[in-house]
Amino acid sequence: MSHVSRRRGLSALALTGALAFGFAACGGDDSGSGDDDDSPISIGTSLPLTGEFSQPGQAAEQGYKIWQDMVNDGGGLLGRDVELVVKDDASNQNTIVADYNALIGQDKVDLLLGTFSSLLNLPASAVAEKNQMLYVEPAGGSPEMFSRGFQYLFFAQQATADRQGLVFADWVANLPEDQRPKTAAYPTLDDPFASPVVEGAKAALEEAGVETVYEETYAIDTKNFDTIVSAMKNANPDLVFHGAQFEDGIGMTRSMLKADFTPDMFFETNAPSFGDQYSEGVGADNTEGVFFAVSHSPDADTPGNAEFVQAYEDEFGGLPPEDAADAYAAGQVLQAAVEAVGSIDDQEALADWLRENEVETILGPLSWEDTGAPTGEFLIGQWQGGKAEIVLPEDASTAEIKPGWTPGGAG
Amino acid sequence: MTELLQTLLLGLLLGGVYALAASGLTLIFGVMRVINIAHGAFLILGAFVTYWLWDAFGLDPLLGVVLTTPIVFGVGWITYKLVVSPVRTAPMASTVLLTFGLALVLEGAMGEIWGNNSTAIRPSYADESFTFGGLFLPKAQVYGGLIAVVVLVLLWLVLTKTWLGRAIRAAATNPASAELVGIKVASVAALVFGIGIAAAGAGGAITGVLYPFVPGSHYQWIARLLAIVVLGGLGSLNGAVLGALMFGVAETLTSAYVSPAWATAVPYAIVFAVLLIRPQGLLGTRLREDAVAA
Repeated sequence: MSHVSRRRGLSALALTGALAFGFAACGGDDSGSGDDDDSPISIGTSLPLTGEFSQPGQAAEQGYKIWQDMVNDGGGLLGRDVELVVKDDASNQNTIVADYNALIGQDKVDLLLGTFSSLLNLPASAVAEKNQMLYVEPAGGSPEMFSRGFQYLFFAQQATADRQGLVFADWVANLPEDQRPKTAAYPTLDDPFASPVVEGAKAALEEAGVETVYEETYAIDTKNFDTIVSAMKNANPDLVFHGAQFEDGIGMTRSMLKADFTPDMFFETNAPSFGDQYSEGVGADNTEGVFFAVSHSPDADTPGNAEFVQAYEDEFGGLPPEDAADAYAAGQVLQAAVEAVGSIDDQEALADWLRENEVETILGPLSWEDTGAPTGEFLIGQWQGGKAEIVLPEDASTAEIKPGWTPGGAG
Repeated sequence: MTELLQTLLLGLLLGGVYALAASGLTLIFGVMRVINIAHGAFLILGAFVTYWLWDAFGLDPLLGVVLTTPIVFGVGWITYKLVVSPVRTAPMASTVLLTFGLALVLEGAMGEIWGNNSTAIRPSYADESFTFGGLFLPKAQVYGGLIAVVVLVLLWLVLTKTWLGRAIRAAATNPASAELVGIKVASVAALVFGIGIAAAGAGGAITGVLYPFVPGSHYQWIARLLAIVVLGGLGSLNGAVLGALMFGVAETLTSAYVSPAWATAVPYAIVFAVLLIRPQGLLGTRLREDAVAA
């Protein structure tokens, strides 16, 4: 008897679960049917608002929202309002595929915008490509993205990940002999974005005669960096070039401080571009001299940048993080293509237009190869006096470059 | 030699914190046969409560354990009464499903209250170390390890030297007979659930100081903690401690001598290997049900 009821209980539970998921999948509004000229243009995206990548995901949502508001305040897109449909993929590669399929199949959005990190853009862009929809992504600079022969994919930053550290590597290579680091360590997160940055920079630095004394990749669920730091400390490099996302960037830096391991130069991808969130994570006086590659500067005099920075401050307070600016720029790229083509019906025409034209964004002018990979170069930032400055290239710099990392605790 | 010693010490310190976090999970299973998938979420809750006390009142996060633990105990006890108690005797599949749902609810609630941004607790000593003979021991890790030992010893004393502990062990070994001699198994279960969650909360206070966290970090913790208690033997407190220390040392040794890329994978391989030889885990006991199932 009890056996039967238990089994029935279990089936009921399973059924409830299945129904709940079913309803969740059916949910969402049927906003953008498209043809009516007065109805808003719906633009779908799925962002990592929760989970491991919630940091960039939330910043991207802010950037998209500001773009939406500014477009609508300025009379809309092709005279119609823009309406974002944002889903949360919880930083999960499976969820994001389901989300983009739902955006296209159920929500029937008119246009798509990309998500954050290469890890999530890889599967998401494949869904867009299969459905022949334009996919402008604000992140996702892994070279892997552009080796798949996609027709609808465009990356709205200056360069792919493998080129992100090159400006810095060139600067190091051209330093006078007595200032140039002799040895370097390359700890890297196993991530399709972070790894190519490190590989690109390492190749350039080795060619310049900087010897590699430590090189290791760690998994995304690594919490404890003490052992990695202990090994790096034994290798005693002059330069640490760290391929990181956000949390591991903070974790590694804090472990380095704990071990009193402060190399002469410290370059880290991603984390230092997060403004206040970064300096709170590692301690403001420990940021002095940290290098990073960055796509956006709040101080840049690119067209529309001042208005964007102001709008961000009005709505969310503080300076916009890089990821919010990238998302805004992705919106600008999409907007430029739609306005130039004059219609949203032919996604192929939008993609063709982007392949042949340059777009002015708050990141500066962007243009693309046939693969959708951008053709520019990144900016190099450095923390100085508790503030992120642009130090390279010289024509975009906001401050003089300083060679060393001098954290407060160990300086 | 110095490197080996350094690696072992870092591994033991890491294992100590794992032990505290895993102790509650194994305790709850031991008494209730409930696999609490929400354990990692309660750990992160402990970290957020600690962050809140530190941020709002300037309370030292590690000393704050004396406040964090009772707060999280309260949350655990109420959760048990409201949510877990009705399904306590239901098949394991139901409780796994229920506690998984609980983890998702907690994650959402923490995101709503504290936001989904990465949070770091940095007291003044967070980036400092004790150094001697070429070795370094991060201060926060040493203090955290000591607190873990103190809490675990207290837990062990309660379990072995008090009437409450005797009641808990009786309820775990034979609930029906325990009822016959006047032990209210349902009340004991509520208390054990609270204590188990409080241990997770204390662990969360320490890990919050050591590593940055977001509400979604609990997935990584529950995977580790489940592996640790299975390695040690489900339901065995000593087993959980042993499993946790092995797990911590395996992680740091792999990171130092094989590659950091394997550091989070090798401990799971060890779990597989141990289970092939001892399916009940290192210190687990074989139950009659297991023999029948085999």
